[in-house]
Amino acid sequence: MPTTKLKDLANMTDLLSGGHAACPGCAGPIVLRLILLAAQQEGAYVVGSIATGCMEVCTTIYPKSAWRIPMIHNAFENSAATISGVETAYRALKKKGKVDKDIRFIAFGGDGGTYDIGLQSLSGALERGHNFTYVCYDNEAYMNTGIQRSGATPMGAFTTTAQAGTVAAGKAQRKKDLTAIVAAHGIPYVAQASPHRTRDLMQKAQKAVATEGPCFINVLSPCPRGWRFKPEDSIEMAKLAAETCVWPLYEIEDGELSINYKPREGKKKPVREWLKSQGRFRHLFTPRNEHLIEEIQQEVDRKWEALLKREA
Amino acid sequence: MSGNEAAAEGAMRAGCRFYAGYPITPQNEIIAYMADHLPLRGGVFVQAESELAAINMLYGASAAGVRCMTSSSSPGVSLKQEGISYLAGSELPAVIVNISRAGPGLGDIGPSQGDYFQTTRGGGHGDYRCPALAPSTVQEMAEFTYLAFELADTYRNPVVVQGDGMVGQMMEPVALDHLRPPRPHQKPWALTGAAGRPRNIVRSFRGVKGELEKHNIKLQEKYDEIKRTEVRCVKIACEEADVLVVAYGTCARIAREVIAWPPRRLPGRVGLLRPVTLWPFPCRQIAELAERVRGVLTVEMNAGQMVEDVRLAVEGRCPVHLLRRMGGAVPTAREIADKLVALFG
Repeated sequence: MPTTKLKDLANMTDLLSGGHAACPGCAGPIVLRLILLAAQQEGAYVVGSIATGCMEVCTTIYPKSAWRIPMIHNAFENSAATISGVETAYRALKKKGKVDKDIRFIAFGGDGGTYDIGLQSLSGALERGHNFTYVCYDNEAYMNTGIQRSGATPMGAFTTTAQAGTVAAGKAQRKKDLTAIVAAHGIPYVAQASPHRTRDLMQKAQKAVATEGPCFINVLSPCPRGWRFKPEDSIEMAKLAAETCVWPLYEIEDGELSINYKPREGKKKPVREWLKSQGRFRHLFTPRNEHLIEEIQQEVDRKWEALLKREA
Repeated sequence: MSGNEAAAEGAMRAGCRFYAGYPITPQNEIIAYMADHLPLRGGVFVQAESELAAINMLYGASAAGVRCMTSSSSPGVSLKQEGISYLAGSELPAVIVNISRAGPGLGDIGPSQGDYFQTTRGGGHGDYRCPALAPSTVQEMAEFTYLAFELADTYRNPVVVQGDGMVGQMMEPVALDHLRPPRPHQKPWALTGAAGRPRNIVRSFRGVKGELEKHNIKLQEKYDEIKRTEVRCVKIACEEADVLVVAYGTCARIAREVIAWPPRRLPGRVGLLRPVTLWPFPCRQIAELAERVRGVLTVEMNAGQMVEDVRLAVEGRCPVHLLRRMGGAVPTAREIADKLVALFG
């Protein structure tokens, strides 16, 4: 496995440069940069695609681009379909001897473009078995258009289309378990990662890029604007998500699941701490909504237990 | 309030009780306003997982007899076209608000009228038309959306409110008291449970040979009736005009300012004809004026789409010119005045 040493990384070129227009504290560019650093270590050329969303908008404001790799953007619903076409063309050209480079393909998408409108094209690309890695940066709502709920928005969170007030208490539905849906395609590599564990995230990216066939990494991407916390706390938020088991870090290699981080015995933090840290859950801490916190805790526990059981 | 909010408010006052939408700039205020208010007024708000899902939710809601609406902006409305065609084919009333932005493709979020063809020619597959209302003020965003529901139910047809990023985002005072709850339309065709009556069938599929042609003829007769009865336009200073400007929506707002300028800055008396319905198009009204003006200037925020309808209406009675801006650019009053002077001065 190639290096993830800080000393080596410091000498490498970021394939996503600074100077883009992401909000202060946005975890998205951190995720993208780490993944691209890892992909680069494979000694292969990287070609990317990206769905419409925060990262697409803030990195490609014409005539500038923050990408140091060939990058294609099409529409909102088709990052996976677009990279399918590019990857197929590459294979055809390679077969004819018109390309000799070793090229790896990475498709990026936010949660809106992956969990919701892009799910169909993602599923199709996985099923066809294109040789690519799909990276979802999951900031748990449509942040680019002004914080609308998505399939990835957790239960109880406030968004501009899942209001919190005297009648409603934020999003009433649970978060869609996209990683499990993707894993059900039976592809060779699926992982959930987080930007606070950089080495884990990079190793997962290395594995995915090195693996033949479709691979998928779902990365939690804390959003200060949408989640309502201070910009300097983004990595803390990511850490808290893992420590409360709201966002477990795990990978599934050829069907074998392994959990990459487990809180020490008795040290699993209550979900209350996670909810308390963000303004989007503020309304839950009222007598009327307090019971929801327990419901959310139970749901987190249930999923965590199921994960532990599956690993065993 | 903003134009987007006014559209949402007008819809609710017209009795809209089902809304399905999907985020896209510059119309997100409609979704947010609907999410805020519709459930409190006994309606259902759904944020769909895509534009396709949203428009097809309308197919279900409308078939059940409920007043329903979706909104989007140009790329999103492109995605909805299949659903709109199905609504038209099945004769289901629904309202689609398009706060259009500049294209083609992802384009930009600046205001545009580049969807004129898509809106007035049907947009999706097959022979159909949707009445299209073009507001140029925030007040009209509310009123036209309200009116759209009445037209939709009257003709059992989808109706488009064709705004743009400018009228959607701008804020103006709005009078709403006159938008009272409308008299409910009888919908004997709706799927409300067939107990005690023969069953209703809502469909666009007609597999029996010859049946589809008959259905199409019926649709065309309906469209002819709409053309006879629902043409709407506003004429300003047209009676004495030597020169006519034709513009709608945001462009009409700007042109209205120009025609009020002192005559020394203009080539004679300039009138403005503003189509309120883009389809049916005010052909007769334009033709009448074309008999006695020196020429027509069409002002559009696209490459020149409505100008084709203006030329069809004018039929060579006088020269028809075009002032166009594209890609999110908006013509200024001075640009329009300068063009008028250059052409007719």
